[in-house]
Amino acid sequence: MKPLHSIFIVDDDPIHQQITQIMLDRQHISDAVKKFSDAQEVLEHIREHRDNAAQLPDLILLDLNMPVMDGWEFLEAFSAVRETLCKPVRVYVLTSSIDEKDRERVNDFDFVEGYLTKPLTSDIIGQLGQ
Amino acid sequence: MNIALLHQVLEALPDPAAVFDTRLRPLSVNKAFTAENSRHLDIEQRSGDETFQHHWQRALRGERTEFVWVSGQPARHWRISLSPLFSASRTVESVLLTIRDIQLEVEAQENERFFRSVLENLPIGLHQFTPEGWSKDMNQAQRDILGEMHPALQHQPYNVIADPINRRNGLHALLEEVKHRKIPVSREMLLKYVEQEEENVTRIQPLYYEATGFPVLDKEGEIAYLFLILSEITEKKLAVLSLEKSERLLHTIVENLPVGYIQFDNYGFIRRVNQTQRRLYDSAGLNEEQLGLNELFLRVLQEGKVVRIEKKLEYTLDVPGGKVERELFLDLTMFPVEDPVDKDQLVVALVNDITEKKRQEIENTKAQEFLLQTGEIGKIGGWELDMGTGKMRWSAQTYKLHELPPYAAMTVEKALSFYTGDSRKKMEQAMAACMSRGKAYDIQITLSTARNNVIQARTIGRPEYRNGRIVRIYGVIQDVTEQYKIRDQLSRNTELMRLFFDTIDMGYAVMDKDGRVNFINRKAQEIVDHGKVIGRNIFEVFPMLVGSTFHARVQQCIQQQAPVSFFNYLPELDKWYEFLLAPMQDGSISIFTRNITESKKMQRELRKANDQLSALNKYLVNQNKQLEDFAHITSHNLRAPIANMKALMHIMSETDNEEERVLYVGMFKEVIRNIDETLNDLIEVVQIRKDLNVEKERLSFSDRLQKVKDILFVDIESSGIRITTDFTVAPDIEYPRIYLDSILQNLLTNAIKYRSRERSSTVHFRSWVVDGGVVLSAEDNGIGIDMERYGGKLFGFRKTFHKNKDAKGIGLFITKSQIEAMGGTIEAYSKPGAGTKFIITFRNE
Repeated sequence: MKPLHSIFIVDDDPIHQQITQIMLDRQHISDAVKKFSDAQEVLEHIREHRDNAAQLPDLILLDLNMPVMDGWEFLEAFSAVRETLCKPVRVYVLTSSIDEKDRERVNDFDFVEGYLTKPLTSDIIGQLGQ
Repeated sequence: MNIALLHQVLEALPDPAAVFDTRLRPLSVNKAFTAENSRHLDIEQRSGDETFQHHWQRALRGERTEFVWVSGQPARHWRISLSPLFSASRTVESVLLTIRDIQLEVEAQENERFFRSVLENLPIGLHQFTPEGWSKDMNQAQRDILGEMHPALQHQPYNVIADPINRRNGLHALLEEVKHRKIPVSREMLLKYVEQEEENVTRIQPLYYEATGFPVLDKEGEIAYLFLILSEITEKKLAVLSLEKSERLLHTIVENLPVGYIQFDNYGFIRRVNQTQRRLYDSAGLNEEQLGLNELFLRVLQEGKVVRIEKKLEYTLDVPGGKVERELFLDLTMFPVEDPVDKDQLVVALVNDITEKKRQEIENTKAQEFLLQTGEIGKIGGWELDMGTGKMRWSAQTYKLHELPPYAAMTVEKALSFYTGDSRKKMEQAMAACMSRGKAYDIQITLSTARNNVIQARTIGRPEYRNGRIVRIYGVIQDVTEQYKIRDQLSRNTELMRLFFDTIDMGYAVMDKDGRVNFINRKAQEIVDHGKVIGRNIFEVFPMLVGSTFHARVQQCIQQQAPVSFFNYLPELDKWYEFLLAPMQDGSISIFTRNITESKKMQRELRKANDQLSALNKYLVNQNKQLEDFAHITSHNLRAPIANMKALMHIMSETDNEEERVLYVGMFKEVIRNIDETLNDLIEVVQIRKDLNVEKERLSFSDRLQKVKDILFVDIESSGIRITTDFTVAPDIEYPRIYLDSILQNLLTNAIKYRSRERSSTVHFRSWVVDGGVVLSAEDNGIGIDMERYGGKLFGFRKTFHKNKDAKGIGLFITKSQIEAMGGTIEAYSKPGAGTKFIITFRNE
């Protein structure tokens, strides 16, 4: 049994998606790592399966800088949906931005468990599983 | 032959039939024949007829033959067939004659021929297609429209729906709509251009058509054929276009009128207000109600003529630190106009701000009152002499001056009796010269009043002409005794004055109105630095003063009889002087002057320093903004691939699997390509921001756009986008060529990339002038963008908002960089689904 049932990677950079998936797979942290390029799609998926625990992720790794719907918009929308979900979904921001302003802004969303800067490291991945 | 059998066979035939022997005697005849023959034909009777005989002879020779027989009124048609029947010895024994009524057939053929010829000769193009769009048939007008070189006329299969040209001109969309909705659809479109030779000039004229597509449905309701009707409407279209153009022109004129313009419809709703009027409203915080336009509007409509009134408005203006009361005088002219096109009754109001003029008038009235008062104070009386009656009239003040009771009867002789000695002689001469030759006079004389007081008087006389003859002499008389005394005193004081003026640290001079210097103090003498000036004309001593500011101000001072102060720079001396000119009672002018070169220079230095400081400040603010931009870009756009690289190094070092390593190398390449691309984009932007002094030249918008269209030819063709322009108001601009090309290319590329698949795409470029600066807009009907959601990031580096694969998020960033580098601004207006409008304000030239 792996520590997490499923993880969603939300990032429009395909290379980053792939690297993150490889790193997560290597540490055997989750049974299912799903990759999304479009935050809107993730939001719709979550809304649709709010009552279906098997379809909901345990953890979301969210990029901030994305086209169409960016990470901020996702967080705004998600904060309204998360109370209605049948199981807790943890959210980490995973971004290349080291801008202090971004870091502070993430603090506005108290359900976000951490602000991680790319790339992920083995240590951090280990902590995600706990 | 068995005649009974023959009878039966003939009777069984549906058509009239008969068998004749070779001498045209009936052997057997069926009932149908009997009926038809007796009713319409009468074969036996007409057998001598040439046509019949010709065919009968052929039948006798053994040939089968048939011919059409026309008979009756109106004519009916039958087809007569003659078939020879042979005996055993192969000789013609008898002939079978059958008759078929072909009237319906003939009529149908006739109808078709008729309709064909009508359609063929219609003055509108008619083209028939299969439901798939393959050309089937067309009439002459359509052939003319297409032209003989058109593929549909080259005996090749031609598909109107597949023709790429029709995607651009709208025909494709029209026919698709007809197919889809199965109803007739009409649209106006520009389908082709013709060349017209006009005195060695070839003009390209667009031809507009009303295109109507309609389906012909079969019994199942499916489309059997598509028809296209083309009707040329160029003249109408051009008339509409030129109407629009003249309306635009009118609008521009109205907008720029120096008087306020308000246009009402016949319900009293305001339809147009020009900028002068808007400025008036804004500056005084007024509205229509305060102007009282409602009542006026009703009056104009009721009376149907021009109403003109003057209106005084009082209003309060908020100013820093309180309110001030202001008044405004308006000249309102309102008149009815009939719209030349739809004959609607309009009402137009012209609003002229006449506050300044009004103020002047009030000033004048005051001045007149003042003059009257001066008359009293200055002891000036008026008089006139009517040359016709010899009657003399004096004003009250004149009587008073002569110490006579008012309105005592007066004659010229009696008037002259108050003068004695030289004064009398002078007066008589002046009067005589004025009466005979019209010579005006202004003389000073001694007058002895009725009570024998002697006074000094100045008397002025002028003639008035009517029809070339002197009808009246009029003038004033002034008691100048006191001035006379003062002047006497003055001359005694002159020496004292000289001493006084020489001691002040200011140049002082007196000159008469022609420029002759009557007095000059020591300081002024130093300033002019010239030998003897006194008694000489200043404009002769210093010819460079003729036409100078000094000269102009001297004249102003003389004309207005009011003090004038000004600064003047004398380039020969490289010095600034401050002047104060004051008119004096005797018509001469006092000139005060001092050297202000030092303070003036200091002032200029200060202003220069200030300008430099504000330019520097602007530059620093710009630099700061750029630094922030770049900090943001590096934090987001450069860190991302570098983080990827770091992670790749890590996972690569942890594996020995060769296959995995190959995969990672591939990913490395992709990351490096990404970094490379980002860096190149950044370098391009840095170059723009650095290159502030890039060379400018005068560029024509339409030339540059044509160039860009050539470059984007393939994209334009494949997208079918329709590009329209209006550069008439501002056709060109002073700008770096590469920037303008890049800006136009980005705007056009954007319009193509983000076009809507739901309608045929258009983009309209327009240029105009605002406050002396050129403004360019590009408006498309594409998919648009949610400005509330993305507005803040629209011009950001590497920001994209669509799932479009082509979107790189760099074009608008570069466009904005180029525009801002040259001191301009760019704005975007858009709604999702409703297209986008970019407005670029280039810096004022």
